[in-house]
Amino acid sequence: MNALKKSMLVCFLTFGYLATAHAILPIEKLDSFKGSKGYLVQTKALPMVDIEVSIDAGDRFDPSGKSGLADMVAALMNYGVRGDQGILSEAQIADEIADLGANIGLSVGGERTILRIRSLSRKDLRDRAVKLAAAMLSSPIYDAKIVEREKQRTMTNLLEAETKPEFVLERRFTKSIYGDYLLGNTPTVKSVATVNTKDLTQFHQQFYRSDRMIVSIVGDVDRAQANEIVKTLLQKIPQSGNPIAKLPELPRSPVEPLAQREIQIPFDTQQAHIVMGMTAVTRSNPDYFPLLVGNYVLGGGGFVSRLVAEVREKRGLAYSVSSYFVPGKDTGIFRAGLQTKNDQAAMALEVMSSTIAKFIADGPLPSELLAAKSNLVNGYPLRIDNNRKLLDNVSSIAWNDLPLDTMEVWTKQVEAVTLEQVSAAFQKYLAMDRMKIVVLGAKNK
Amino acid sequence: MRSNLLRICFLFLLYAPLSWAASSNSADTHEFLLSNGLKLIVREDHRAPTVAHMVWYRAGSMDEVNGRTGVAHVLEHMMFKGTHKVKSGEFSRLVAAVGGRENAFTSRDYTAYFQQVEKSKLDEVIKLEADRMSNLNFDDAEFLKEIQVVIEERRLRTEDNPSSLLYESLMATAYMSSPYRHPVVGWMNDLQNMKAADARDWYRNWYAPNNATVVIAGDVDPKQILKAVEKYYGAVARQELPERKPQIEPPQKGIKQVQVKAPADSAQLAMAWKVPRLEPGKLDDPEPYALELLTAVLDGYDNARLNRTLVKQEKVVNDVGVTYDMISRGPELFLISASMAKGKTVAQAQASIRKALDELKQKGILESELKRIKVRILSDQIYKRDSIFGQAMEIGTTEMAGFSWKDIDYMLEKMQTITPEQVQAVAQKYLVDMGLTIAVLDPQARKSEASKESK
Repeated sequence: MNALKKSMLVCFLTFGYLATAHAILPIEKLDSFKGSKGYLVQTKALPMVDIEVSIDAGDRFDPSGKSGLADMVAALMNYGVRGDQGILSEAQIADEIADLGANIGLSVGGERTILRIRSLSRKDLRDRAVKLAAAMLSSPIYDAKIVEREKQRTMTNLLEAETKPEFVLERRFTKSIYGDYLLGNTPTVKSVATVNTKDLTQFHQQFYRSDRMIVSIVGDVDRAQANEIVKTLLQKIPQSGNPIAKLPELPRSPVEPLAQREIQIPFDTQQAHIVMGMTAVTRSNPDYFPLLVGNYVLGGGGFVSRLVAEVREKRGLAYSVSSYFVPGKDTGIFRAGLQTKNDQAAMALEVMSSTIAKFIADGPLPSELLAAKSNLVNGYPLRIDNNRKLLDNVSSIAWNDLPLDTMEVWTKQVEAVTLEQVSAAFQKYLAMDRMKIVVLGAKNK
Repeated sequence: MRSNLLRICFLFLLYAPLSWAASSNSADTHEFLLSNGLKLIVREDHRAPTVAHMVWYRAGSMDEVNGRTGVAHVLEHMMFKGTHKVKSGEFSRLVAAVGGRENAFTSRDYTAYFQQVEKSKLDEVIKLEADRMSNLNFDDAEFLKEIQVVIEERRLRTEDNPSSLLYESLMATAYMSSPYRHPVVGWMNDLQNMKAADARDWYRNWYAPNNATVVIAGDVDPKQILKAVEKYYGAVARQELPERKPQIEPPQKGIKQVQVKAPADSAQLAMAWKVPRLEPGKLDDPEPYALELLTAVLDGYDNARLNRTLVKQEKVVNDVGVTYDMISRGPELFLISASMAKGKTVAQAQASIRKALDELKQKGILESELKRIKVRILSDQIYKRDSIFGQAMEIGTTEMAGFSWKDIDYMLEKMQTITPEQVQAVAQKYLVDMGLTIAVLDPQARKSEASKESK
């Protein structure tokens, strides 16, 4: 143990130097094309390239009563497009992607829709993958028969999901946190049923514009090739269109009596699922770093957080328990959750609540702050050690309008966090009398 | 869309440089055997200053005996509960302090532990991992708390998860004598009756250097690594391992069926056929490769056969998937699973699956279909190198199944030689009722519903 302790001490003393020990690959800003933004990180070791297009067309733009529209607009881009040589069917698109050895994936979040291409960097293959993605982005045909089929599938999936505790909990928690704000409503069988071809086309026309797109590229291409990729991707996309209403502000979770904030959902699972949380900060908020470091101590730090110690290690109440901030570009939330055997639900909720309350009131110990910084700083290279992770970082920097040297100064910003900053930030943004709580299961059994 | 001639040329172009890239593993990989029997495999990858360190024990749930199912996984949890030198929970704190990410996982075939760290911290985690190879020391109170955590894990992943319950029943039905019939997490009653002594016995029996393979991948110098590994792991004494009985599953003599009633909305269907796996020393057996390719022909991309016909054309199922893995210690299943489309029955889905398979058995597959799959396999060889951890995983799972990491390239080459006729032949030979097990999830309404929520 002595030997271990000694080397731990050494690592504490040296962690400050790590950030400068290895060069962090620079992010290059690409030429602006049709109002879009483009970024590149060149990595030459592997003959492959990852390309992402972020579109400001997430779930928050779903019209009232049509939750799920943004999801379908994106998902159906795979299923038929008008290309240079006429219509490409869903089968032809799938075969082409397979023949190229490429991957093209789509995902839709609250704020943005993301299209990702992974291709070999060889020009002929890459060009075809990029051209296909460009056709998907600009010219999906939304064939009525396919729309109907995919609506049915989505509704069947939703009916299935409604039997699952995680889904029901998540849907109710989302409504509880966001209320009538844009992100409060999640897709239902009813809302999906109302979506028609015209809705899809209109949404696509309105939001899929190059001035709402950011292209991020990581891999084996140079600057000129990257600029060419951006041009090919966005060539046929209109630059702008009808004005889009400014997003409203998400009001802070209000102070409410417990009875107003806590929701119980009877559910006959063996385990109760519990979540609590409230509105918090965006990624660009200057308090992001104190909250990140503090939350490592509270519930973010894998096996060593306070929540894991209190709930799992000391009491054996749950397999998984954690807390985290979800900082977006325009809104952000804090949340904590666990699952436990039904007859322990009240006790587990009490342990989780009191652990969070104590942390907000007292902040971390000096030793905990040191351990948190040590982990985050020493572990930073693991956040950027391959193309996929680099793309995740570039994508976040671009979407959240962060400075281009964010990766270079990240560890310095962590090291600069003080005990007082952590306490002040937690007290400023979190409050137990504002926390929404959802308990699914049979808490009072 | 394009002429066949063009496509053939294109495929040829894609083949040439890729097959070179796919066979470049051996130059940057190094293997060592310590005198205590521990095997070390180092994969050099200098793209970023990070390392993945994994230790793999060839002891998984298939090595458990009756009444003690789940003990391999329970011990995995107890490995974080202290040694003679490092007190409970300290392991994770020390790994966290050097910025490491860590975890562990248990399968039917093995138990593995890993840390990912910045490269200058590698010695620290080697020292810690080597320490718990022979010095584990937890008290009964720690065990009693942790077994509750494991039971919560089973509730979360299995008891409240209908798909897991279905798979559990499928495995227990398909196999009569093979230990593959037991779930990795263990049966609930076995967990409730497990004792600290069961976990300690498991540790004493299987955690030995001569039953372990250390895999280190990343920005490292193999010579330096060998020194550190010899210093820390080399100090652990070799020991005699328990005898492993073959427990070969007797041949199945006809179709088996099982039904599971659980809360769900759609019915689910699983059809599993007994098929061969690749056996060490028989790398030229074409059948396992042909089965891998058959899997991809049926389910390898969005327009693959089952998705195209069952989901898109006939609309009889909502989702369909096929799994088979030729690399494993125990017997293999070729598994097709599907969830029903609204208003469609399990019988209709089964009929459609059988029709698609019959067509393939009778008419075979197109050369172009197979080429498409092979291209994907080749490009995946490039993509997989983006992840250091993924490379270490591939080496570890291959070694645990009784192969050498050196076989990986040979297997990939062999895969490229398989013909459409060979794929058709394995479908004809193995996808027959004699070796088939069918499991059906019969959906039940939940007693309580979300609509009854209250504040």
